[in-house]
Amino acid sequence: MPTVQIKDEARIGSEARYKYEPSAYLQKLYHSGTPDLGWMNQHGEWGVHARPGNLGLRLKDIEIGTYGVVPEKGGDHLSMAPRGAALPSDLPSLGFTVNQKAECWADNVMELYEEAVARQWSSARDIPWHELKPLPDDLERAMCQLCTFLTEVEFIAADAPTRWMSRINQDFLEVKLFLATQAMDEARHTEVFRKRALANGGGLGVASPPSEWSLKKIFDSPNFSAQTARLHLLGEGFVLTMFRQGEFLAPTRVDQEIFRRCMQDESRHVGYGTVHLREQLKSRPELAAEIHNELDDAEKILLQLFGVPEQVEPMAILMGGGLDHFDKGMELQGQLWRRIVNEYLQRCDSAGLDRRPRCLLPTDFNKFFEG
Amino acid sequence: MAAFPDPQWFAALGRLMEAEGELFRRLGYAEVRFVIKVIGENDDPVAPLVGLEFDGYRLARAVQLDDTAAFDPDFVICGRRPVWDRMLAEIARGGRPELRHTLSSLALVGDELWLESTDQLREDKFFRFNQTLQEFFNLSARLSR
Ligand SMILES: [Fe+2]
Ligand SMILES: [Fe+2]
Repeated sequence: MPTVQIKDEARIGSEARYKYEPSAYLQKLYHSGTPDLGWMNQHGEWGVHARPGNLGLRLKDIEIGTYGVVPEKGGDHLSMAPRGAALPSDLPSLGFTVNQKAECWADNVMELYEEAVARQWSSARDIPWHELKPLPDDLERAMCQLCTFLTEVEFIAADAPTRWMSRINQDFLEVKLFLATQAMDEARHTEVFRKRALANGGGLGVASPPSEWSLKKIFDSPNFSAQTARLHLLGEGFVLTMFRQGEFLAPTRVDQEIFRRCMQDESRHVGYGTVHLREQLKSRPELAAEIHNELDDAEKILLQLFGVPEQVEPMAILMGGGLDHFDKGMELQGQLWRRIVNEYLQRCDSAGLDRRPRCLLPTDFNKFFEG
Repeated sequence: MAAFPDPQWFAALGRLMEAEGELFRRLGYAEVRFVIKVIGENDDPVAPLVGLEFDGYRLARAVQLDDTAAFDPDFVICGRRPVWDRMLAEIARGGRPELRHTLSSLALVGDELWLESTDQLREDKFFRFNQTLQEFFNLSARLSR
């Protein structure tokens, strides 16, 4: 092999503050030339042959033998040692605080992780930006304000779960992997809405203090499961409907493509939240009371979020097709509200939580203003 | 040439899907099983139900069904005959449905086309794989009519 030429080689280390002492092992190796090889006798289950399925080697294909056993309680070592490896005694603790499987697990995380990786997209490549055409001023302003709001939402959707990601025991690596894809998804949503606001003659609108105070409550959740109920189940379920609505109300094909792709990502996040809740309730039915309390709060947040003009009006203008059709937009919005509430309650049903009697959300928004 | 919603019509789309290869690979795999229901004026099905299954980047099954439950679909896409016809005509003209006439848009409003499912979690696969489903239907622009 040719020797690599390194610039100023003689100067390297001439002012180093520490002197390196090779380990006893390295000294022995360099003197005797005989490798130690002790590590070859320390390993997890050996002789494993994971086989790829029709779509390649997926996580589910390597959940075999002891490697497929996800413990109810994560390892006490709290270190970065991978599940199934041989564990020496002096591993450093990372101080994980989510150490019970029931606190974070969902049986569909592996499926959702692989699906997320396979269905990533690029806003630069996959959105037909060149097809953007100037819009009437009211529609462009409404779309830009919606994009501004959605950017605020996406920031929280990325920051909130990743805040907990580093606290989850490494033995639940599949959950951490899924949350990493969620962070990537939310990053893409953040940039695509920012790009859209800056791409068609408009710009960003106004940030909304009431919305941000509401969203902050998701960020401040006291524990991961509480956050999952607030964010993944209700919050993102609602955003999923907003994205579907975005696909519907899109004034251009560019907007339609953006919303449709975001919608696909969002439904994975909701899928995780629903199954996580389902499994939690199965293992600890007494948790239902706590989750109801979280959802009381989350539903209040949602109602507060939609009590300010910068949130209500852009959607109505886009739904109606312009400021002149504001009333029609509000009416359509009211019809969609029923769908949002219905699907949310059906997700609660699917999770095994009877939310109907306790639900704060009205099925008919007009009811608030009667009498 | 078989016509929509004959299973053979879907099988022809399936062959186009495999020929397309790269487009569907870029969208990512889809694992989903659903039923297409074409409904007439009086809310009755006017054509046999068709069960479709994607197992990655290909249509693995397109079969006529007597019993929806036995097929165990994630969801059923129900649409009135004129709505399906309008969608396919728009696709034939422009390669895709017009704005507000996509599968997702129509299902959102829910009066012309809607989803049926026993479990919201499974119904949500309609959204998880929506781009694949739409592109699959868009391939019908290439079928000779
Ligand atoms: Fe998002
Ligand atoms: Fe999300």
